[in-house]
Amino acid sequence: MSLASALETLATYRASNTRASQDVLEKGSLILKSGAASNLGDDSWAFLEQLALAALDVGQIDIADQCLQKLTEKFPGSPRVEILRGIRMEATEAPQTVLHYYNELLDANSANAAAWKRRISVTRRMGRVEKTIDDLSQFLDTFYTDLEGWLELADIYSSCNQYTSALQALSHALLLAPQNPFTALQFAETAYSAGDLPLALKTFLIVVDMGEKDLPSVQDLPPTGLSVRAWYGVKLCARQIIAHPSTTSSASNTAVPKSIRQIDEVATERLLVHYSGRGNDRSEKRVLQSWLAG
Amino acid sequence: MASSAASLYLDPQIRDWVLFPITLVMILVGVLRHYVVLLLQSPPKQLPKAAIREQKALARSQILRATASFSPIPPTYYHAISKHLSDAFESGIYLKDGPPQGDAPTTPANPLTDPAAMDGMMSGMKTQMVMMVPQMVIMGWITFFFQGFVLIKLPFPLTLGFKSMLQRGIETQDMDVRWVSSLSWYFLNFFGLNGLYRLLLGGDNAADASQTMTASPFAAAGAAPGQPQDYSKLFKAEREHLELAEGQYAWIGDGVEDRVLRRHRRA
Repeated sequence: MSLASALETLATYRASNTRASQDVLEKGSLILKSGAASNLGDDSWAFLEQLALAALDVGQIDIADQCLQKLTEKFPGSPRVEILRGIRMEATEAPQTVLHYYNELLDANSANAAAWKRRISVTRRMGRVEKTIDDLSQFLDTFYTDLEGWLELADIYSSCNQYTSALQALSHALLLAPQNPFTALQFAETAYSAGDLPLALKTFLIVVDMGEKDLPSVQDLPPTGLSVRAWYGVKLCARQIIAHPSTTSSASNTAVPKSIRQIDEVATERLLVHYSGRGNDRSEKRVLQSWLAG
Repeated sequence: MASSAASLYLDPQIRDWVLFPITLVMILVGVLRHYVVLLLQSPPKQLPKAAIREQKALARSQILRATASFSPIPPTYYHAISKHLSDAFESGIYLKDGPPQGDAPTTPANPLTDPAAMDGMMSGMKTQMVMMVPQMVIMGWITFFFQGFVLIKLPFPLTLGFKSMLQRGIETQDMDVRWVSSLSWYFLNFFGLNGLYRLLLGGDNAADASQTMTASPFAAAGAAPGQPQDYSKLFKAEREHLELAEGQYAWIGDGVEDRVLRRHRRA
């Protein structure tokens, strides 16, 4: 592995926010040892930060300390380095100590979003769910556009079976990233868990619609990736709505589509199409067929 | 014309001791100015939490409105958020200083008494001073020492219209327009060196005269983010936008089953 290509890979990781910690660590420590980092110019600081985070991720605390040392020398008092120091502390220190550290940062500057987010993640890890939800709600009230924050809030609510609240958090996430089918899929699945089948069905169909919208002809193509999961969701909802039409209720007052039977048929067909083109391995298809029949 | 041009010869010493020094001094002063401005710039001001919340509150409703006609969220959720924001804007809980109490005076603060606004204005003034002072000094230097010098002959013919541009400081009727006077050379450099600065110092350098010269120090301060805005008025206006968006609202899930079925030729 040449130095140049290693540097290039790392730059790509930085740009795309890829968390390939082991890879970053291997390539990064190579660069660190060879001393090529100083030739990078201003990029070298971003590289050191990336390497420090990757090293912490993998548990190589000594390498992280080296990077942190260099960064502190170059940027004393930089908020970004302070956060990195906090993350380094999280790796070894007691949560209370780290919490105290973040509290100090926030006292100095109450609008330090990064320190605030770290504090929330530490409280969550300590298992203080109520405090986390409180803090996170306040954070999102201030920094509304933080998509990760809303997804995290939805995740916390889901982990406490508070699906209605999770749906509310997810609806904000959907507003912030309306083009992301994964958020929509999460919304659909949460709605299913909340027992709101018509809403879940509709949202699963939205996910399907997003995936198919730009394809020239959907009939010949088997569904792939996200669409398969969405079709499973459609099938699941449609089957239950058809089986119990009278008891189906919707907390969000979503109407059951009139064409529910056709939807059920199409979902069955799409799922079968997905598994039909898979060579000799028939067992997957058999499992699906028995599920569809049951 | 050709004969008068041929009759004029410039001492090479003018080239070595006037033309090149003026150009070099201007380039160096531009570079120096860039670094002085960098030094003078105060770090961006930290806004307190409440002020950020106030600013972002408007963004919340704008984000909601932006997708209203193809909203990704179902009606119950949309209306809940919309109503919540509308109520919040009316009661003013997003205001930095909390909801207004009764009949408190609502006049915006005078920017000259507010130290935060003063800071923004001062930084604009400082940049302006760094901009203006060296230019005035250079211009004084040129008019004092090289008044009426002819520095260079352009290698291409020009019409008479360029005379006032190229022969500033020399009041002769007959001289060929191709001769450039010292003061005009200064102005040509002043406006022409921006491209060079961009090469030397990068895109958003502080030496670029064309940007800073057009802005007065007070206009720069007015556009600064520290300028006080009456958010309670903005919130009132935003409420009306929200009501309008409410009328345009349509869920993307409306009729999605028909779209999907049609694509699969079932409808």
